Amino acid sequence: MPRNQLRVDPASAAPLWSQIEEGLRRLVASGALAPGAVVPSVRDLARDLRVNPATVSKAYQRLTDAGVLEVRRGDGTYVSAAPPALPRAERARALREGAMRYASLAATFGIPRDESVDELRAAWTELGRGRKGETS
Amino acid sequence: MNADTALPPLACEGLSVRYGATAVLENLTFAVPAGCVYALLGRNGAGKSSLVRCLTGQMRASAGRALLFGRDVWRDRASLMARVGVVPEEPDAPPELSAAGLVRLTARLHERWDVAGAQERLRRFDVPLGTRFARLSKGQKGAVMLTLALGHEPELLILDDPTLGLDVLAREAVFGEVIGELADRGTTVLVTTHDLAAIEGIADRIGILRDGRLVVDEALETAKERFALPLERIFADVTAPAAGGSR
Repeated sequence: MPRNQLRVDPASAAPLWSQIEEGLRRLVASGALAPGAVVPSVRDLARDLRVNPATVSKAYQRLTDAGVLEVRRGDGTYVSAAPPALPRAERARALREGAMRYASLAATFGIPRDESVDELRAAWTELGRGRKGETS
Repeated sequence: MNADTALPPLACEGLSVRYGATAVLENLTFAVPAGCVYALLGRNGAGKSSLVRCLTGQMRASAGRALLFGRDVWRDRASLMARVGVVPEEPDAPPELSAAGLVRLTARLHERWDVAGAQERLRRFDVPLGTRFARLSKGQKGAVMLTLALGHEPELLILDDPTLGLDVLAREAVFGEVIGELADRGTTVLVTTHDLAAIEGIADRIGILRDGRLVVDEALETAKERFALPLERIFADVTAPAAGGSR
C-alpha cells in the first residue's frame, strides 16, 4: 500500500478504528488497493500512523468479518479477491443514509445545492483516477 | 505464563501520600489491565511524580497500597521491579559510561537480557555506541534510557514524561519504539506525559490527576464521546482552575 494514502486524525471525534476502517474501505473502493493486494501488517501500520496496534487490529478484524480483507495464516493480510456485494435493498439504504449525511453537512455549512453536487462529482473523478471505466 | 496473569499489572488501592498536613495524593483507586496503555495526565504539581515514585517502590504511601501484579510494591520491590521497565523523567546513568557499556552493565544485573536487541534498537535511534553518556544529546539520552528499560522484555513499562524536552523527531522515535513493543509483546504501559497529541492515538485509557485526586479514569474513546472533545480540550477543561472560586 502506498504510504500516506491512509490518514487518521487522533483528535477527531470519530474513533480511530473507524477512521482506519473507513480509510481502507475507501482505498479498496477506489482501486488504490486492488483485489488480492497485500495490506501492511498491524505492527507496520500502527507505527506509520502512530496509533495503538490494538486499534489497527480492531479495524482489520471488522474488515475481515465484512469480507473486505482476508487473512492468510502465517502469510499476512490481503484485500479479498472478490469483495462482498451487499443485498440490493441494503445497498440502497446505505447510499440513502450517506447521501442524507452529506446533504446535511452541506446545509450546515450553508453551501448551495449546486456547489455540493459539484463537490460530489469531483469526488467521483478523484475515485476514477484509481479505477478505470466507472466515471464519465 | 505466570499464575497471576489475571491480576492487573498495576493498581492503586486507596493510595494517599501526605507531607505533614499537605495531601499530595488523596485516596487514589484505579487499575491498569494487562495490555492496556494508560496515560496519566495532570498539570505540574498534580501529584504525578509522587504517584510514579510510589508505583516504583521508591516512596511509601501514607495510606493505601500501590500494587504491581497484585502485590504491594513497597514490600516486594526487588522481585516485582524485575518484571517492570522504567524510564525516569530525568535521564540518569553513570556519565562516563558509553551506551554500549551501559547495555553490558544493565545486562549483567538481569537473569536474561536481550543485548543484541538493545544494540539494534540503539542503531534505530541513531545513538553512537561508543560516546560517553554525559556527551549524548537529550534525545539520545532518552533513547538510551528506553533501551535499557526494555532489554529484559518487561511485562509492564512505566514511562515518566518520556518526551519532555525532545524535538518532534525524537518524540516520534520514542513512541514508534513503544508501539513496536506493544505490537510484539502486548506490554502493559503507564505513561505520564505533557505530549497529548502524541499519546492521543496510543492510549487506551486516561487518568487525569488534579490536586492529588484522580478526577477522570476511563477509556479514552468513551471520554472523547462523553466530552465530545479532543483529548487536549478535555484535559484543559478538567484541570482548569474553578471559575469564580475565591483565592
